[in-house]
Amino acid sequence: MSGPGAAGNGPLIHRRYVLGLLLRLCVNFAGGVGILFVILYFALSRSLPADYEGVFHALRNLSPFLRPILAISVLVYAILACGSTSALCVYILHKVAGPLYRMELILDQYRSGAHTRTVSFRHDDQIQPLAQTFNLWIGALHRDRHRWLATMMNAERHCLQDEATCRAEMEEALRKVAEDMARYR
Amino acid sequence: MRKPALQPSRPSIRYVSPRYQGPAVLAFAVIIVTGGAIFWKLVDSAFQRVFLRAAIRGHYAFDSAYDIVRDLLAWHLAGLFVGVFLAGSVLVLLLIAATRHGIGKAVASLRASADGDLSTPTGTGSIGELDRFGKKIDAARSYTLASVLEIRSDAAALAASGIAPEEFRLRWDELKQRIRRIAP
Repeated sequence: MSGPGAAGNGPLIHRRYVLGLLLRLCVNFAGGVGILFVILYFALSRSLPADYEGVFHALRNLSPFLRPILAISVLVYAILACGSTSALCVYILHKVAGPLYRMELILDQYRSGAHTRTVSFRHDDQIQPLAQTFNLWIGALHRDRHRWLATMMNAERHCLQDEATCRAEMEEALRKVAEDMARYR
Repeated sequence: MRKPALQPSRPSIRYVSPRYQGPAVLAFAVIIVTGGAIFWKLVDSAFQRVFLRAAIRGHYAFDSAYDIVRDLLAWHLAGLFVGVFLAGSVLVLLLIAATRHGIGKAVASLRASADGDLSTPTGTGSIGELDRFGKKIDAARSYTLASVLEIRSDAAALAASGIAPEEFRLRWDELKQRIRRIAP
């Protein structure tokens, strides 16, 4: 970030993050299919007899067991794949969910009137422009607040002179502050 | 001696946000289970057919049932992988697009706030967590706008009031305090 004008212009979610997520998903699903293959391989790799009758009976006897074998294999695959994908989702998406949660806390603190500090996310978090634009907004509010207070304190300096001048300057300062605040809509 | 009370408080980091990660996890589970169910249905019917045919013909050339269905199984496993991965990729891209859209709106809203626009709704989108987040931003902006408008109206009123100096001074000091409370 080079200055306030450039705040929040970076990418919200980096392409590298998306590609990394897709790559991990690919490895995850490939692992799941690999496990399914191993289970089915061991279930179907029993040697067949050498004669026609033996082969016929072995294959005919396999048919009733095929459905439960497949059902259990697919169930194991689904459980393992769902578990690993859930872990992957939590691990990868926390780089978006974490900053969102952090920003929610800061917004709640802001509304409660607590001291508002500048926000920064972890180095490898996504949605960094959110923190930058929030800081930009709070920075603008701080600058405006200081200017309004400076205008009022400048008017107070005239109170060292006579009462009428003091009052006129203060009223003028109030009008200036009210006019300056008109940009907020 | 260390004084824990003096250490700066580190903001807590939450790794699990059920509102954001939950729907994604559920959607992936639906894809995996649907893929598995389709695989089971297709492979079951194909294997039953192939084994019946093989039993009648007598496949002496094959050592095991796996050898009979090797290619068929490979194709179905490849289909399962490609199907689940493609559907998962589409889901990831949709999720990223929705996040980019929602957070993009929040960023635009905060940038507009820095320019003084505190009333245009953020409109972050329909994903639960992003929608809620947009409402929080709007609430913070509304809170600021209400404070500023109230101070502005009181400042204008005080400037034109013509009240007694003692009362004027009291209200002047009160106004200063209220300005100090904007983004403290």
